[in-house]
Amino acid sequence: MSLIGLVLGLLLLCAFGIACLAAIPTKTPRTSQPGAVAWTIGAGGLAGLFLATLWLRALSFAGVHFGVAAIALPIAAATVALVGWIARRGGARDALRGSLRDMGSALSGSSLEGTARILWRLLLLWVAVRFALLFIEVATRPLYPWDAWTQWATKARVWYELGRIAPFARTDDWFAAGGAAYYDAGSHYPGTVGLLQVLACNFLGRWDDALMNLPFWMMAVAFAFAVYGALRGMGFEPLAALAGTWLVSSLPLANAHVALAGYADLPLALCFCVAMLACLRWLEAREPADAAVALMLLAAVPLLKIPGRIWALFALPALVVGLMPRRGRRIVGAGYAVAVLGLLVLAQTNPVILSYQLHLDFAPDWEALANSFFLYDNWHLLWYGAVAVALLGRRQLLAPQVAPLTAVVAGGVLFLMFVLLFTNARAWVSDQTTVNRATLHLAPLTIIWMLVVFRAWAQARRDASVAAVAPDPSPDTPPPATVTAT
Amino acid sequence: MALTASCAVILLGYLAFAVPASWFPSAPVKQWSVRDLTLPRGTGGVANNELVITDADATGQVYIAVTTDLRARDYAVISWNAHNVPADASVHFLWRTDYAPKKIFSVPVGVEAGRLLPIVVANDAGWLGRVTGIGLAVRGALPQPFVVSAVAAKPSGAAGILQDRAREWLAFEPWSGTSINTITGGDDAQSLPLPMLLALSIALAAAAMWARQRWRPAAGTLDIAAAVAIMFVASWFVLDARWALNLARQAQATIAQYGGKNWRDKHLAAEDAALFEFVDRARAELPAEPARIFVASEAQYFRQRAAYHLYPHNVYANPQRNELPTPDRLKPGDWMLVYQRRGVQFDPSLGKLRWDGGAPVSAQMKLRGEGAALFLIE
Repeated sequence: MSLIGLVLGLLLLCAFGIACLAAIPTKTPRTSQPGAVAWTIGAGGLAGLFLATLWLRALSFAGVHFGVAAIALPIAAATVALVGWIARRGGARDALRGSLRDMGSALSGSSLEGTARILWRLLLLWVAVRFALLFIEVATRPLYPWDAWTQWATKARVWYELGRIAPFARTDDWFAAGGAAYYDAGSHYPGTVGLLQVLACNFLGRWDDALMNLPFWMMAVAFAFAVYGALRGMGFEPLAALAGTWLVSSLPLANAHVALAGYADLPLALCFCVAMLACLRWLEAREPADAAVALMLLAAVPLLKIPGRIWALFALPALVVGLMPRRGRRIVGAGYAVAVLGLLVLAQTNPVILSYQLHLDFAPDWEALANSFFLYDNWHLLWYGAVAVALLGRRQLLAPQVAPLTAVVAGGVLFLMFVLLFTNARAWVSDQTTVNRATLHLAPLTIIWMLVVFRAWAQARRDASVAAVAPDPSPDTPPPATVTAT
Repeated sequence: MALTASCAVILLGYLAFAVPASWFPSAPVKQWSVRDLTLPRGTGGVANNELVITDADATGQVYIAVTTDLRARDYAVISWNAHNVPADASVHFLWRTDYAPKKIFSVPVGVEAGRLLPIVVANDAGWLGRVTGIGLAVRGALPQPFVVSAVAAKPSGAAGILQDRAREWLAFEPWSGTSINTITGGDDAQSLPLPMLLALSIALAAAAMWARQRWRPAAGTLDIAAAVAIMFVASWFVLDARWALNLARQAQATIAQYGGKNWRDKHLAAEDAALFEFVDRARAELPAEPARIFVASEAQYFRQRAAYHLYPHNVYANPQRNELPTPDRLKPGDWMLVYQRRGVQFDPSLGKLRWDGGAPVSAQMKLRGEGAALFLIE
């Protein structure tokens, strides 16, 4: 096996996820949904990589030694079967041909004209160069950041060499196990990141702590596809959707997590963001495929990192607001208000329940927070933009199309505020360690929210402007004709 | 256009506060390299064209001196190029002049991110006549060596300050242990962070457009939304271009260090090459089947790093403390890898190993390296 084997193997996993997604019938043909092909490639690719880690868990549970054949053959067979099944559906061939033609046309920007086409091509080139630079890093540099080799890749090395998932235990349990369990600095952490690296090493045919991180890069590329598809699905024009994709793909801290891959924060952020986008798509169109992506990636989030258990819960406010447009907003708003009130009460009092002290110490390090969000280049202009958009678009935040996303982002911001302002995690704010990694979980989705709110605000301004210049209707003026858009 | 204009206005406002003396000085920057620096107090030496200070003198002080000959009124700022300066150290800039030759003047120096902030001396009463010598006094514990590579006297006119800011923004920020947590966006310490400048520029331009629209409503409201969006994207692009340039320079450095090497050679080219090389030899001594092995090292980095290189053996390395388990928790057939750790003694004549004053255990030394050894517990 070799680098080619690694690339082909990882592409197979992505293809499996794409085939799974494409096999789910849709009410509206994918070819007639803007961005559906990009969404299927991106969300399917992410889902495929995650599904493969579940397959490794199943193999290990069944006592099957990890190996290329055990991993790839069943997945390849399933992919072929799925593709065959899709092909037998009526019009599948035409749909595929149409999808490929649309994709080619979209990539070349041939549907655009003049300056828009030039901008499209330049932007696409810029994004491609970014991913090329990140590829060089991820493929060349041996595992570098601290936690990656103290608590994540430790598991990958053991599981790859043993060909099965072996347990990791805390100190006392490790001594008691007498060699049956392993030990590292994060023995209780979930194993999905390690399993992604095990997959890569199996396809590569050897342990290589540089190339084993290629799945991180592929996830980032798949994520870019998914974001483009989602934005197109939300009605953004191709150039605006590509600009949005560039914004989410250019966050320096996210780029650092691709280049110096090995932490769980980036996969968590990507899976969480795409899961939430899938939720929104499902609320909009009720397509089973979107529900499947949402459920699959929401399941991935807690299996990537422990805080994922909290992040996965933020699908609830989106669903409540989306499914109950009137009462949902009040319910979620009241829930958040109670949470904020509870934090403030606990910060001001010192209650003790069952000998647990519930007092929260509100002592934020504002200077360090300002550095993280506004002065350093972790996020380019993300948090300036988010604050500005929240102020400008305050009347649009709860509009029907925006409210579910606002509910998720508001919940995420509250969660981050709780962790960073009220708990002993403030030490990690002061020393600039966890503050940005925790924020990374929400950052890509915040960009999408920013774009959606800004568009709603701009639309509202435009409507107001049109209403302001329109003549007052008088009894002599005939009513305007109804125009139906085609 | 509006963005450029508002950016220029903000920069002018910044310069109004930041230029300490003349806006358009004629004197050139004067710079002294490591060859001009002396170390009258403290311990250190020159390495890689830098003065590396490893320890203070008996009174807990470090003093670095430079002989100069400059006209005080021509130079407003002194800038030391230093890094790894302890954050809690007391640092003072000292100088003497021909105006009061028996007096030594002093001002405190700020430390940020291990670097020394520029010292504005233009308005100090003692900054008069010809400056015949300058120095840096550091008092406090030195948990790690700090480095001084140069010092410069700057007239700090408008152009000089803008050049300094541009240099800070465009400074190469290579991957470091903190990159996974924070990207500063150029130099570690920046007087005017670029994201803030651009955000303020957008805000000012948008405010100006809004004000203009209030006076001239015919200009339309949607234009502002589009203009803000374009300015935001353009500013984001400026930041992203800087970041992409940094990534490209980093990719070049990464290829130079690791390009074309196989996995093992990459590790031999990495920061912990000596440790990797010793662990590689140790692995050859270890059995093929995973064995229980304890890692001892004073430095958390070496302890954890050695453990990482030893997997898939069943490694135990205390992630937080420089502690080894008590001897009764080890059993025959276990291994111990020691790397740069005091308090571990081995008596080859008796075949006894002990650590931290505990009871000895029977052991064989299987491998020995510089400050390192591998033992098999019997």
